[in-house]
Amino acid sequence: MTGTTPRVVVAGLGSEYRRDDGVGPLIAARAVDEAGLGSVIGPLVDPLDLLGEWDEADLAVVVDAVRSGVAPGTLTLVELTGAHGSVAQAGPRGATSTHGIGLAGVLRLARAIDRAPARVVVVGIEGEDFGRGTGLSPAVEAAVPAAVCRVVDVIKEGRACA
Amino acid sequence: MTHGSGSPRTIGVEGLSRVEGEGSLRVVVHDGTVTDVALEIFEPPRYFEALLVGRHFTEAPDITARICGICPVAYQMSACSAMETACGVVVDDRVASLRRLLYCGEWIQSHALHIYLLHAPDFLGCADAVELAERDRTAVERGLSIKRTGNLIMETVGGRAVHPVNVRVGGFYRAPDPEAVAALAEPLRRARDAALETVEWVSRFEFPDVIGDYRFVALRDPGRYPIERGRPASSDGLDLGPAEFGDLAVEEHVARSTALHARLAGRDPYLTGPMARYALNSDVLPPIAADAAAMAGLGPVCSNPFQSIVVRSVELVVACDEALALVEAYLPPDPPASEVRPRPGVGTGVTEAPRGLLLHRYEIDAEGTILAARIMPPTSQNQLTIEADLRRVVQEGLHLEDDDLQWRCEQAVRNHDPCISCAAHFLDLSVVET
Repeated sequence: MTGTTPRVVVAGLGSEYRRDDGVGPLIAARAVDEAGLGSVIGPLVDPLDLLGEWDEADLAVVVDAVRSGVAPGTLTLVELTGAHGSVAQAGPRGATSTHGIGLAGVLRLARAIDRAPARVVVVGIEGEDFGRGTGLSPAVEAAVPAAVCRVVDVIKEGRACA
Repeated sequence: MTHGSGSPRTIGVEGLSRVEGEGSLRVVVHDGTVTDVALEIFEPPRYFEALLVGRHFTEAPDITARICGICPVAYQMSACSAMETACGVVVDDRVASLRRLLYCGEWIQSHALHIYLLHAPDFLGCADAVELAERDRTAVERGLSIKRTGNLIMETVGGRAVHPVNVRVGGFYRAPDPEAVAALAEPLRRARDAALETVEWVSRFEFPDVIGDYRFVALRDPGRYPIERGRPASSDGLDLGPAEFGDLAVEEHVARSTALHARLAGRDPYLTGPMARYALNSDVLPPIAADAAAMAGLGPVCSNPFQSIVVRSVELVVACDEALALVEAYLPPDPPASEVRPRPGVGTGVTEAPRGLLLHRYEIDAEGTILAARIMPPTSQNQLTIEADLRRVVQEGLHLEDDDLQWRCEQAVRNHDPCISCAAHFLDLSVVET
């Protein structure tokens, strides 16, 4: 940790115009508001934009829609070890990302130049419909309140870890 | 793998890395000759055109900004220009200057990203930007530092670094404080120095000796490098108003592709983007950028697509230098926006997105409701030319193994920095040999 008040940043990845892909920014914004954190990073459609925004944070929480085959709305938390540990090797595109350059690739890049957060927690919401259009599918919509609470908990835990 | 006559040759890949978006590339080879190249591209503007109909004219800048995470300002600027033309409004000089400053921020962000993280690895034998960072951390840090300066401009003028929220038809919601704008000067001086280093760095790359037979189309803005305004012009003598250009540019559906292909009616395909801008405007480069171009060995026209990275770097110098001049001369527009009252009519707006000419055309009614929308992004205009490049690359590379041929194709596409889409997926490549 770098000080008595850990720096926690929250980012939402995704596009609201690709239906469930927009759930990340939605949850991130609500959670930041409820946690009184200030501002949220995003909505970002390119994880590369995290560079410069999450640099040297004690904790970065990244909320994103995922597609892994489980039930829509399922919440998955994955901690990627950040500046000092290992992260699964991934190409420029992470397999679970709908974006041009994947989160894992961006984290590896940040680590290569010593700008990575100490911890990165990815909050993934299983999406169902990534087609063109606005609005979430019912199962994903129903999962939003619980996901917001979970992200708020992660933020509070991160801020308490001085 | 054998590639003999009669045996289908198929290269399947998850996607084309380091290109924004999704799409697929299918190449057909018959008796050793490439007979068809089809680059299929998912184009979000098609969807957004339908979405805009029925919306209020003031909503177009913010809605269309969401088409692209890399160049939202371009969409905002072309939308504003089109709407203001439809309504008969000309914004004052201070608003125009502030728009140019914001647009410079986007050019800086986008060009730094493409040069350092997407394109340079091709020339240095690196699989991606991560490998480049591991081998040459200083270079990547320089690129990210330049990009952060672009972010600063976007935050200061646009309200935030990604998807700026301060732009409106007629101008801005709020004029930035002079102190905040003045604070951009020092970062911009450093960024301009770094951009000059960038030109020097990329000019030392080894480039294949390829000369493309391009027909260039870009804006011309008398006396200065075109960014947020200008008249469409071409390397074979066209000089048109925005509306005339929109009438001449025809977007066609081709049976083998779901993407639209733009061409000028009755003429060959054309190329828009940095190489086109440079070819048509190298005579109005700021002196510092002209010197950098000369140092890099660029003549008044560059037709080697692989050297587009050098041209893009020179434009990085242009954007930093222009932004610095605008910062030093900044006077807040008061009011920050002109009043724009709707009236029935049609308006066309053209600006230079980082990847090339971006045209918006709208028809609105007396209440300002959008009746029709047309958005012609750079990539649909470049599609036929990119396919022509690919045809040559594949023909010359048929002797290569699949991985090497795929790599060459990827490079050929990345030369033109296509913004296939944002928030989208993959490009699958297949070569079928019969």
